[in-house]
Amino acid sequence: MKRVLLAAAGLTLLAASFGTALAQDPVTIRISTWAGVDEAAELQGLIDEINASQSEYQIVHEPIPSDYYTQLQTQIAGGTGADLYWVDQNNMALASEGIFYPVSQCDAVVNAEPQTAGDLSDYYPGILAVNQSEGEVYGLPWIAQPVVVYYNRGLFDAAGLDYPAEGWTWDDFMANARALTQDTDGDGQTDQWGFTNNGWPPPYIFVWQAGGELISSDFTTAPIDSPEFVEGFEFYLNTAYNPELSPGRETISEQGFGEMFKAGQIGMFMGGAADDLDRVEGLDVGVIHVPAHPETGSITTFAWNASTVINANTQHPEQACDALVSLTEAIQGWKIVSPRISQANVEHLVASEPRKEASAEAIVSAAQDMRALPIFGNYAEFDSVFWSEFWGPLINDETDLSVAELAAEVRPDLEDTLP
Amino acid sequence: MDLGVLNQFLPTLVRYVLVALGVLGLIYGVYKLQRKLGVRQEAATGRALVMPWVLGFVVFNVFAIGASLYLSFTDYNLFRAPEWIGFENYRQLFDLSLVPLETAEQRSSEVLPRRHDEIVRLTVGDGGFVLGARESDFWRSMRLTLIYAIVTVPLGLAGALGLALLLNQKIKGVGAWRVLFYLPAVLPAVATALLWRWMFSQSGLVNQILRPFLDVFGMDTPQWLTNPTLSPVLFIIISFWGVFGANTVILLAGLKGIPQELYEAADIDGAGDWAKFRNVTVPMLSPAIFYNLVVSLIGALQVFEVAAFIPTPTEAGTFLNWTIFQEAFSFRNMGMASAMAWIMLIIVLGLTALVFRSSSAWVFYQGAREGN
Repeated sequence: MKRVLLAAAGLTLLAASFGTALAQDPVTIRISTWAGVDEAAELQGLIDEINASQSEYQIVHEPIPSDYYTQLQTQIAGGTGADLYWVDQNNMALASEGIFYPVSQCDAVVNAEPQTAGDLSDYYPGILAVNQSEGEVYGLPWIAQPVVVYYNRGLFDAAGLDYPAEGWTWDDFMANARALTQDTDGDGQTDQWGFTNNGWPPPYIFVWQAGGELISSDFTTAPIDSPEFVEGFEFYLNTAYNPELSPGRETISEQGFGEMFKAGQIGMFMGGAADDLDRVEGLDVGVIHVPAHPETGSITTFAWNASTVINANTQHPEQACDALVSLTEAIQGWKIVSPRISQANVEHLVASEPRKEASAEAIVSAAQDMRALPIFGNYAEFDSVFWSEFWGPLINDETDLSVAELAAEVRPDLEDTLP
Repeated sequence: MDLGVLNQFLPTLVRYVLVALGVLGLIYGVYKLQRKLGVRQEAATGRALVMPWVLGFVVFNVFAIGASLYLSFTDYNLFRAPEWIGFENYRQLFDLSLVPLETAEQRSSEVLPRRHDEIVRLTVGDGGFVLGARESDFWRSMRLTLIYAIVTVPLGLAGALGLALLLNQKIKGVGAWRVLFYLPAVLPAVATALLWRWMFSQSGLVNQILRPFLDVFGMDTPQWLTNPTLSPVLFIIISFWGVFGANTVILLAGLKGIPQELYEAADIDGAGDWAKFRNVTVPMLSPAIFYNLVVSLIGALQVFEVAAFIPTPTEAGTFLNWTIFQEAFSFRNMGMASAMAWIMLIIVLGLTALVFRSSSAWVFYQGAREGN
């Protein structure tokens, strides 16, 4: 027994001495992302450059390609979390739980040079707002992808239609969509459609353009029964599974949503600016901003955005802050579209993604009118109620109520979830 | 030597070693204590050696179950300390309403209280009743899971019995057939679920086979994944995959254990095949059937993989285990998820107890009969 205890003591001493011996090495900063194999390899290239450029810390990438947020939550709750995490807009609501470090208190942010990744004033305010909670900023955005319209020039030419152009409206969009929906082989079955909507694109695009709001700016009301909201949502619904212009649910489910556009079966597709839909072999694809509301003229579009955050329990907040700023600067030069105002130009976009040169101007133009979702602490429950009681029943044809009637019914339930 | 990587894993290695030493110390300490109390060496050794399992059971089972029970009475989202709220989670789960309908077509939303959604509608004459619940997702899941269990368990048992009878034949190469029929049981559940999903998609293998026949009658191909009536049928069909597995093996072993003298005696009495099956095979196999029934029932109520990888229409609901998982990890409502899990446990225990109570009427233990 004594020998056993002695052996244990010896091992512990050995471990302690190892720890002391290694104390002089650079601090390890771990970052977890949802990157798959290819994306992780590209990110690793950026990380290697950062690691080689300084000796204060070394960034180690730990990708979690599936069940990302389940693992993020359990890691942080269990105290084994990484120092940095990628977090998308919806999950920035986790900031209200106090699990992220306020980056607005980082020296690298407070003392940042103008027009660098640490300069908070260089970010689109609407995008940065997603990362803000109670006066602090909890993440640095690295992407803000506006939704744009990809259109198949070949199908437009075959139908004798003019391409969508600056100033095009909802009416032009619907006319094009209907004209492009055809039975091209004469077998009595429609095999080409002008548009496709299976729940994407987000309805907020049309709601905002019509002047409606999902949540008031002070987060106290959810005015989904306003005439403007109803108008926008009704237009959106009219494009979903509508046989006059869109494939049915089963067809999209079996053939794939984006895949149908790539196969040349869809005339217009609303996708993210970084999507590869404009470089499909054999397709001549153009890109333009979303159609404008016929009366307000608004071309507001939805922006999907993501940020990098610091784990509030990081053992090395100073190094984590420095790593965050350096890594964000690098990613903003890789991903499009950068969420920074000073980088909202064709040159930066093409430098980041040369394959988007032909679409760069349209994308940069769309980015000027992009909006993000209004995120707050209990957004997950709000989103769940909105989908299960309003959006889902309407788009899946599970209710015989009109948009206005259902909105009036659901509004109180949504407002119960607001802070 | 790159010590950077070693530095990352060394603390974990040290912890492993310390835990192993601790377990050894526990074994030694329990043994010594028993010997001091006068326990015989053989008994003391046995109890000491079983301590690792006991420790694991206490830490990973008893503690986890106790924690779950406690959390079911709290509001807990992983990041903040649990806040005691008493029976509030259970009160919300059982916040039900049964309301009469003036007409069969009347909208539920007109009669149900706020935040209650329809679970079941019962049409009676020109009117009817609607059952609503605040936690409608939970009760829809309960409905789907119970229907699934009630339908699939007896059908699965019958299928397993039929297959076991087939594999009990004395034919050449029956060993190879047994291996082939057992292979589905060793396939990964996730990969299998994804294959089923593809097979039952609109243009999947199943509809391609059915299409010529449906065209003859002018019928549309079934929408297995999106039709709320067909979706449960799809899962019932998939459940037959489970026939090729442990249930069949256990019944086959049971068939092998039936004394041949019983069949010979039945032959002498002039019994036909059906009479022998009904009066010899089934009674002698009843303990194995009983075991399979209990295990299959528990398994059917806890189905998870197919629920996770094959979506169901909102109206049909999803399976209970998946709903609990989503409540815990998508909505971070650990307290409510724990309460749901305990209700599910009580239901599983209740149904299992019913099966046990009924067993005295139909399960035949040869040893017990001989003892009488």
